[in-house]
Amino acid sequence: MEKKVLWRVIVIVAVVAAGVWSLWPPSEKIHWGLDLEGGVHLVLQVQTDDAIKAELDDAAQRLVSFAADDGIDLGTTEVDAESFKFSVEVPADIDREGLDDIIGRSFPDYDVTRAGTSWTLAFKPNIERLIRDQAVRQGLETINNRVDAFGVAEPVIQRQGIEGDRILIQLPGVDDPERVKKIIKSTAFLQFKEVVAGPAADRPSLLAGYAGLPPSDAEVMSGNRTGYTGEILGRSYYLVKKSSIITGRDLRSARRSQDQYNAPNVQFDLVPSAADKFGEYTSSHIGTPMAIVLDGNVMSAPTIRAKITDSGVIEGNYSVEEAEDLALILRAGALPATMVYLEERTVGPSLGHDSVVRGVRAAVSGLVAVMLFMLVYYKRSGLNANVALMINLIILMGAMAYFGATLTLPGIAGVILTIGMAVDANVLIFERIREELRVGKTVRSAIETGFSRAFGTILDANLTTLIAALFLFQFGTGPVKGFAVTLSIGIFASVFTAVFVSRTIYMIMLAGRDRVQALSI
Amino acid sequence: MRIIGDTNIPFLSYRKIALSLSLIIIVAGLAYQFLGPGLNLGIDFVGGTQVTIKFRGEPDLDQLRGSMAGLDVGTPTLQRFDEPEKHEILIRVENPEGEEGDFTGPIIELLDRDLNAGLGDAFDLNTQGAQSLTTLLAIADPDGTGLDEEGGAEHYGPMAEAVLSFRKENGIYTSMDQLDTITELSDPVRAQIKQQAAVGEFALLGAESVGPAVGADLKNKAQAAIGFSLIGMLIYIWLRFQLPFGIGAVAALFHDVLITLTALAVTGREINLPTVAALLALVGYSVNDSVVVFDRVRENLKLHRGEALEPLMNTSINQTLSRTFITSGTTLMVVLSLYFFGGDVINTFAFVLLVGVIVGTYSSIFVASPVALSIHKMLASYREKKRLKGRRRR
Repeated sequence: MEKKVLWRVIVIVAVVAAGVWSLWPPSEKIHWGLDLEGGVHLVLQVQTDDAIKAELDDAAQRLVSFAADDGIDLGTTEVDAESFKFSVEVPADIDREGLDDIIGRSFPDYDVTRAGTSWTLAFKPNIERLIRDQAVRQGLETINNRVDAFGVAEPVIQRQGIEGDRILIQLPGVDDPERVKKIIKSTAFLQFKEVVAGPAADRPSLLAGYAGLPPSDAEVMSGNRTGYTGEILGRSYYLVKKSSIITGRDLRSARRSQDQYNAPNVQFDLVPSAADKFGEYTSSHIGTPMAIVLDGNVMSAPTIRAKITDSGVIEGNYSVEEAEDLALILRAGALPATMVYLEERTVGPSLGHDSVVRGVRAAVSGLVAVMLFMLVYYKRSGLNANVALMINLIILMGAMAYFGATLTLPGIAGVILTIGMAVDANVLIFERIREELRVGKTVRSAIETGFSRAFGTILDANLTTLIAALFLFQFGTGPVKGFAVTLSIGIFASVFTAVFVSRTIYMIMLAGRDRVQALSI
Repeated sequence: MRIIGDTNIPFLSYRKIALSLSLIIIVAGLAYQFLGPGLNLGIDFVGGTQVTIKFRGEPDLDQLRGSMAGLDVGTPTLQRFDEPEKHEILIRVENPEGEEGDFTGPIIELLDRDLNAGLGDAFDLNTQGAQSLTTLLAIADPDGTGLDEEGGAEHYGPMAEAVLSFRKENGIYTSMDQLDTITELSDPVRAQIKQQAAVGEFALLGAESVGPAVGADLKNKAQAAIGFSLIGMLIYIWLRFQLPFGIGAVAALFHDVLITLTALAVTGREINLPTVAALLALVGYSVNDSVVVFDRVRENLKLHRGEALEPLMNTSINQTLSRTFITSGTTLMVVLSLYFFGGDVINTFAFVLLVGVIVGTYSSIFVASPVALSIHKMLASYREKKRLKGRRRR
């Protein structure tokens, strides 16, 4: 073999070996997209307005209670979340310097405006953005914890969007998508509150003793009233204190458990500091009811029978699964704001499985048809093209594995399309060689001219397709991106195989023969 | 073997008829799209929720419509998916004006309420997952392992996975007896599952929900992708060839895309993200085809300096005709196999390519070169006029 040909063979073998090496074993190296493997793709938006409102509510309450600790009685507060401020009634006869002191010490994030008896505390510049950002980051972390705890392999959880308030979640291989979606989305904000009055069957009868309006430090909350077997009988209304005794943040751990009748419930442990607070409260309130509130719903309002310190139970007619999920989200922590689903794509495993089976069937039948045609039409040169096509596929799959590209259903279509278009380069060359042969050129010079003339055309034709593929990649999302990737790699591979590999095969075919009379084409 | 021998068809002589025919089809198509029912934009672009459900038996569509009335979001569309004997139905609802949110959960809950009322607390083999089944078995402990729940999960987990992988392969459990085919189960476990589980009427095959915000986003991106790639190609061909050729190639491209869109509108097929991807692949294919012809024209221009463009173009089209047909043929082979064997999910994708390859082949012969020729002639006569004017002035 000539040295030149030998070098070419070495390059080809090296490329094929690299392709096979990066591809082997295919089951581990090729990443399947969610649309083939099955799974859930979610885009959530964090309602950061919630976090703003929560911060303002909390600040207003804190101010009133700090002032009370110093013997200053403040009037009603009013939160205006849309303009990022709250105002408080300041009676004329109180110690104004003392109040200024408290604000200066404990509310460094606020600017104060004093207008007579109404003082307004507004966010300093940037605080709003900071709180929103924090809410998203906390949400991200919480969702991470929850997904981790649920045990999904290889999840993708990312922050997204121009405002940065979107969270992208991809969970491959999930077989019960609705359950996972509920777990992710639950705010899971747990509060233990002192019951002032109730339960009552409706709001008016609850507030009958309060002239129809709840006192300023209390609010009305409700929950389902259930019978012995868990059936819902109606709603119960409670008047509870606005401030919580403890919240979900004070939980150290939570787990599913069951009561003496084997009904599932959730047991929790408290962190030491909260345990002290809770112990103090329960020991001084024995015999009174306490509301357990989850996401604004009163789950139950048991009567305190003894001092409770570091652990307790939440009951609520749960199924095993519900109790398990509640324990999980309580362990993982509450979301700082509610979440809204902007986009959801669930592919059930069977649909993905079906797509793979059919995609492979389509690819194989297309491949066989093209190869047969090439063989019949171009005879031994067709064989040449088919070898090039196989090498093309090895390079394509190998490159996808190497770059960690994801194989999606449109990606499979891209592979199939590549099969059809890859032989185009060979067709261009072969037709050119035939033309040259017809005008009476020798085999060697026909091949020579065929390749050199066709090369420019192949380059132009493939570069234009590449332009389309690149923009598709730039603007595509999800599966479409996968299509663009396979198409782009396929273009490079087909130029290489048609121009370089096919040429080398001809060189080998003609090597050692001085005068070649006929070419099988 | 040769399918197309040496031809000498005067393609460009037919250019007026061909261009008029194309123009009529395009105008009629545009009229149909804008005045008629228009393009069927999928939820990717208009927003909404689309759920694919597989039923155990033939579903009662009226009953399904009744169930969906509980959603309170306008009229849902029910549509058969895949072959009828598979009992698969696609339910689609649009989001209430401007409202974000995912309706998959509510749809499933309504179906569950109306169709699976008889199941009670039983474990539903068709909607619940392996984790739930593992927990159920670990608590019941039919094998009598005496392990705690964590150990039990390790023991029963693989069995639960096996039960679910049957659903993964077949889409749905149609009867409890199918549990007998799962060899991974021990007899007590199988008995336990049969006692505590039931087969629900439906299984969720897939769900897609796109809110208005994301929908608008996707629409912009799709338009940008198509727009920029058109401009990119025009510039490339302009640089590599001459302006008339660039315009000819882009005209062929618009021709292909517009006719394919018309075909989509007439067949009422849904346009979603993969459809846009297919349209862009078609754009690439169409230009590819035109470029091959132009390349030959450029080569012939160098060989036969001074000859008129029209006969040169005709020769070039004839010379590349064989290649044009063979490449279209091989591409059609794979596209047809995609169309017939690729399944419902990819069918519209394959349809776009099918129409596109046929139209694209036509346009590379009857649109790209004729337009390039016309533009060339227009430019030439414009320059001639300018030259004459200049002379007169002198």
